[in-house]
Amino acid sequence: MQQDSQPGNQPNPFEKIVEFVDERVGLKTIQAKMLNEPIPGGSRWAYAFGSVLLFIFILQVVTGILLMFYYVPSTDHAYDSTQYIIHEVDYGWFLLSYHFWGSSAMVVMVFAHMSQVFLWGAYKKPRELIWLVGLALFGIVMGFGFTGYLLPWDQRAYWATVVGVEIMDKTPIVGDFMARFLKGGPTPGQMTLSRFFVIHVMVLPAALAGLAGLHIFLFRKAGPAGPFRGTPEELKAKTDYFFPRQIWKDIVAMATVFLIICSLAFIEPVVLLQQATPDPGDYHPEPEWYFLFLFQLLRLKMFGGELGQFLGAIAIPGAFMAFLAALPFIDTNPERNLFKRPVALIGWIVIMVFILVFTLSAIINREFLH
Amino acid sequence: MFWPTFWTGFPIKLAFGLLLLAAHMHPWEGEGLFLLLLLSIPIDIWALGLCARTVFIDRLKVDPQPGIGANLWLRWAVFSAMALPLIKIIVSGATEMAKSVTTNMVHAIKESIYPTLPVAEQITLELVMWGSVATGVLILCLLAWLYGLGWLTQPFVKNAKSLEGTEEERASFWDGLRIPADQPLLLTAFTGAGVVLVFVFWALLPSTTPHPHEEYEFISKGPKEEKVEPKKVLKEAEKVLAKAELVVKKLEEEKSGESKDSKDQKGQEPAAKEMQPEKKK
Repeated sequence: MQQDSQPGNQPNPFEKIVEFVDERVGLKTIQAKMLNEPIPGGSRWAYAFGSVLLFIFILQVVTGILLMFYYVPSTDHAYDSTQYIIHEVDYGWFLLSYHFWGSSAMVVMVFAHMSQVFLWGAYKKPRELIWLVGLALFGIVMGFGFTGYLLPWDQRAYWATVVGVEIMDKTPIVGDFMARFLKGGPTPGQMTLSRFFVIHVMVLPAALAGLAGLHIFLFRKAGPAGPFRGTPEELKAKTDYFFPRQIWKDIVAMATVFLIICSLAFIEPVVLLQQATPDPGDYHPEPEWYFLFLFQLLRLKMFGGELGQFLGAIAIPGAFMAFLAALPFIDTNPERNLFKRPVALIGWIVIMVFILVFTLSAIINREFLH
Repeated sequence: MFWPTFWTGFPIKLAFGLLLLAAHMHPWEGEGLFLLLLLSIPIDIWALGLCARTVFIDRLKVDPQPGIGANLWLRWAVFSAMALPLIKIIVSGATEMAKSVTTNMVHAIKESIYPTLPVAEQITLELVMWGSVATGVLILCLLAWLYGLGWLTQPFVKNAKSLEGTEEERASFWDGLRIPADQPLLLTAFTGAGVVLVFVFWALLPSTTPHPHEEYEFISKGPKEEKVEPKKVLKEAEKVLAKAELVVKKLEEEKSGESKDSKDQKGQEPAAKEMQPEKKK
């Protein structure tokens, strides 16, 4: 906070520093541009998801770096070093559990953020590019979850990754190459772990940071879409600025999500299974919870066989993602009111119910496996 | 009104819940739950007062009477204490009935139409069938409950003072109500509370995992340091010394006994030697 210097008095040291930087960088102009952004219709809790995502990512980076002080990405030591973090490092169990639940929180927030943008019609002209970059960011978040899951090198991590890579193998033309590239050879082993580690800690963070910056830049260029209801007078009467109202809401939302992740880290801390072996034994491989619906879908008889597995694992999800990417160019109707877009509303409800039903089915199906 | 009230109080309750977890108490059972519910009462009264007034001014264009938070909370609490257990019974009963009917229907389908119905399809079919019934009943019950909360709120609307003015003036009015009179003081208080909570959290947080792996062998942390008790050590040393003295005394006695015998033997030997040559002769 800036302190106003009284007239006739010398500026205090803090003000001198601000002046020094402002003269060379244009700090005050940047500050005004960043903080004085008008939000038509007022600040909203629904706008906080994006900021919360950025906050969770920053904390994932911080906890990830702290974990990297002890983690060793080799098949001989990955499991032991992870166990060492959990049992011997002070508060290591909490750091690892926070990192684990933080990854789930990122997926939830990505879904929430995408849903909010979709339902409010904020993907429409002139925000098509923001939507496309957002889809790429969604893919990166899923990639984080997939690559990070292998690193503890226990049975759950190993076999979930094997299942995931085998699904990827079903992609026509490039599937075999992609699977061999990720595995680093014909079978999962040290090369797989090394590649997943590098992708997880170097490639994906760099990609996410760059694309997130682009995403924010494009958002600022286009401006907030605002609520889809209300007369222009109502929207103008309720106009807020980014500082302090939206920032306050963002901070409260960040704190809430942070506390939820900490609580989950307490209630369900990370406990590893046995160290990974080539034989799964009694263990039934399963992906992380946000891929369970797809896993259950592939169990249906209609997706049996090579063609069925390709359709269920690659063709249908790929077509859905392609549809999402093309959405701003298909839906050119400028109407943004959700209740005047029944196809959009019903489509979103159907997708959410589908994901929920198949995720619950996968959980119920576990009892039949035992 | 219920929706913003819930989310207004939620972060504060969450912070207390986390402190309870750090203090090895479960906020969802036992004394942890009791403490959390006790703390929730003032938080909910404050949140309800704030959100109710905002909604009244913004949506209904009226300013409620002072003390709406506590009064409304009491009515809502009494009503919910009766309604929510009833809703639970209704929904549980409907779910059980739906599950039972669904199982029978699927069983009949498997016997008559599709004997080889796969497990995954069966699970999905059953879940959709009983899940939609249970969800429908739950939504209806919740709507009825919310309608009841709205019915209890109506007298407060009738007793509220009407507000004149444009949309902008009303927005400024309710907006102005939410700005604290002394913002730096409030900011400092929030920051101070946050710092204190962080310190308490880290003080209570266990440094080792509460769920160790059953096969993990903890690395030894070094030899155990035994506490030295000087009096005890001295007593034991005295005992040892006393024993040692006895042993030494005994050894000396044995030695002196041996030397006496050996002297006697030496005196007897020349006589024995003298006798031997006489025998030889």
